[in-house]
Amino acid sequence: MSGSLVNALTLQVITGLQLGAIYALIALGLTLIFGTLGVVNFAHGALYILASYAAVLVAGHTNFVLAVVLVPVFLFLVGIVMERGLIRFFYDRPHTDQILVTFGLAIVIQEALKWAFGANNIPFPLPPWGNGVVFLHEYLPFLEGFVVFPKWRLILVGVSLLVVVGLFLLLQFTTFGLTVRAGMREPDMMRFLGVDVTKRFAVVFGLGALIAGVAGVFGGPITQVSPEVGMAILVPSFLVVVIGGMGSLPGALVAALILGLALSFSAEYAAVQQIVVYLIAVVVLLVRPRGLMGKKGVFE
Amino acid sequence: MPGKLIIPAATRRRILKTGTALGGLALAPLGFVRGAWAEEGPLGTFPVKGDTVKFGFCVPQTGAYADEGADELRAYQLAVKHLNEGGGVLETLKPSKLTGQGVLGKKVDYVTGDTQTNPDAARTAAQRMIERDGVIMFSGGSSSAVAIAQQYLAQEKSVVFMCALTHSNDTTGKDRRRYGFRHFFNAYMSGVALGPILAEDYGKDRRAYHLTADYTWGHTQYDSMKQATEKQGWTTVNNIMTPLGSTDYSQFLTAVLNSDADVLVLNHYGKDMVNSLTQASQFGMRDIDKNGKKMQIVVPLYSELMAKGAGDNIEGVLGTANFNEKLDDAGSQAFIKTFTDEYGFPPSQAAHTAYVQTLLYANACETAGTFYPPEVIKALEGFECEGIGPGKALYRAEDHQNFHDILVVKGKAPSERKDQYDLLEIVKHVPRAEIEYPADTFPGELGPYKPA
Repeated sequence: MSGSLVNALTLQVITGLQLGAIYALIALGLTLIFGTLGVVNFAHGALYILASYAAVLVAGHTNFVLAVVLVPVFLFLVGIVMERGLIRFFYDRPHTDQILVTFGLAIVIQEALKWAFGANNIPFPLPPWGNGVVFLHEYLPFLEGFVVFPKWRLILVGVSLLVVVGLFLLLQFTTFGLTVRAGMREPDMMRFLGVDVTKRFAVVFGLGALIAGVAGVFGGPITQVSPEVGMAILVPSFLVVVIGGMGSLPGALVAALILGLALSFSAEYAAVQQIVVYLIAVVVLLVRPRGLMGKKGVFE
Repeated sequence: MPGKLIIPAATRRRILKTGTALGGLALAPLGFVRGAWAEEGPLGTFPVKGDTVKFGFCVPQTGAYADEGADELRAYQLAVKHLNEGGGVLETLKPSKLTGQGVLGKKVDYVTGDTQTNPDAARTAAQRMIERDGVIMFSGGSSSAVAIAQQYLAQEKSVVFMCALTHSNDTTGKDRRRYGFRHFFNAYMSGVALGPILAEDYGKDRRAYHLTADYTWGHTQYDSMKQATEKQGWTTVNNIMTPLGSTDYSQFLTAVLNSDADVLVLNHYGKDMVNSLTQASQFGMRDIDKNGKKMQIVVPLYSELMAKGAGDNIEGVLGTANFNEKLDDAGSQAFIKTFTDEYGFPPSQAAHTAYVQTLLYANACETAGTFYPPEVIKALEGFECEGIGPGKALYRAEDHQNFHDILVVKGKAPSERKDQYDLLEIVKHVPRAEIEYPADTFPGELGPYKPA
């Protein structure tokens, strides 16, 4: 293989990884909420952009590190309020009702942001330590010549990885995680056993929102901060969830990666690029209606 | 439905009138006798009844271009105020028949609609204005796809449409319409104005990579920029069509980095441009060397609102504009001053074109002495004036494109800015003569003055 081809492939794989990273972060929250609560949360994209706006404000007035700490906490609280104030009334309603109410909420959040900050982007400067590019050729000896990639996007991949590992540890090795996982499988049985599933579910919803918060802080400078971004990012993220299998966390990860790579490798072919995500979704759903790692019988 | 205006409440008098009109039509030779009632039968929303005349302002109030829309709306409201009460550009426009006491003795009123930056929604909104509100003229933008859809509707309904923000060559090229007029400049003019300056600043041996918004405006701007830069000796490496409203351009920017291009041309507008420019800057494209030269980014169509969104990334980036709030000719100053007094901040180029279009339409009505659309159109065709911006402006009869001086602008460094609105500096005043082109450069048919 010629050197330039290796360079091109490496860059495209990394680009695919970082595209997938942001979808993964949003899809994780979506699928976590669906898997535990059975709610399709179409307001998840709006939570993401809410977090971006909050991050711009906090980072603008203080510094970025404080935004990294405060914004996810703020989103956690928003999630709890949202669940207690609205979503819980829709647990027993059909999915279409849930979609309608969360979609409506998304529009309310979007328009409120537009009212407060205007419809155009507001600049979200990177913190000094995240600015600039990384000289990949200095780290990867098989690359030839001069190959660069924005540092911030590599940080995003790292953050995404941390969140995934963190979530995995939380669900796999804590009592809370055990209850939630059991609740995902057999919510009725958990109730019979006297576990207050709903209270934990509120926390799960908060957790999903918190992950959207992390995504908003780190993804904001990349996807830009404007009210419509929430909707724009919701669609591919939702597809990630569908392709991965509704409610499956590892499925969401795999699907995010696949979509990221597909987008990256088809970038130069506009006609294909715009449909590739949907093409993959169609093929996967035809061959395996429950999604790559979906549970049998869920949305099949 | 034009028929609606005749059939209901048909009084004997009206039937007689209509009968006379139709009879006159049948007898009269082709062509029009100005002011003759027999020729000016009901057409579109004409005649205007009562002592007010309604204009329709159809701008994006939601969607990606909502801020541009909001600024256009401010300008329209100001234009209506000046038409009714005098002031502003009414004092500088020459020749002008505007009185500052309404138009043709009628007070100007207006209705607004939301295009949502979506051709279908725009069409519905405009249709409502025409059929329900009976507007005699409608105006608005942004997005060339919307403007073109509106022009076709205008022709169909025989109601004049004054385009606001639309920069595609198609608007007055292959999709030109008898009932549509554009004051804003176009992609071709951007290319002609920008080409020599790019060659001067960055050299003649450059390799350009284009990223282009995938709709009518992007396509024509890519063509025009390619042509203009290749004329200067540049090579076009590649072009990628990016979906309108993309939020992440990394996959495209990676392709640019992988190529041997040393200039990136962003045929993006509004948010797309803010996103792609910011991300290109994150990819280090403002700081790296390619082919032994410093890599450069070019944004052919610039706006103040975009510059604001892109923050510090605009520093040194070249582009073109139709208007800038630093222009010092009498017409621009009259507009800038009244706008700033009214709203507390300077107008954008979207606001300027919206304002000017309203005045030009109203003046054409006064000149024609009637609201009858074919006569108003004829008054606009070939109309040349001064006092609405720098130099003289001409509405070319063949394609309804307005020709006037345009600007090459450059993003200011944060340290050079006087205030938060001081984002762009004027690099060159491009005179009208330099950007004029033959009307058949982009072939198209205007269509008839009246439906057959």
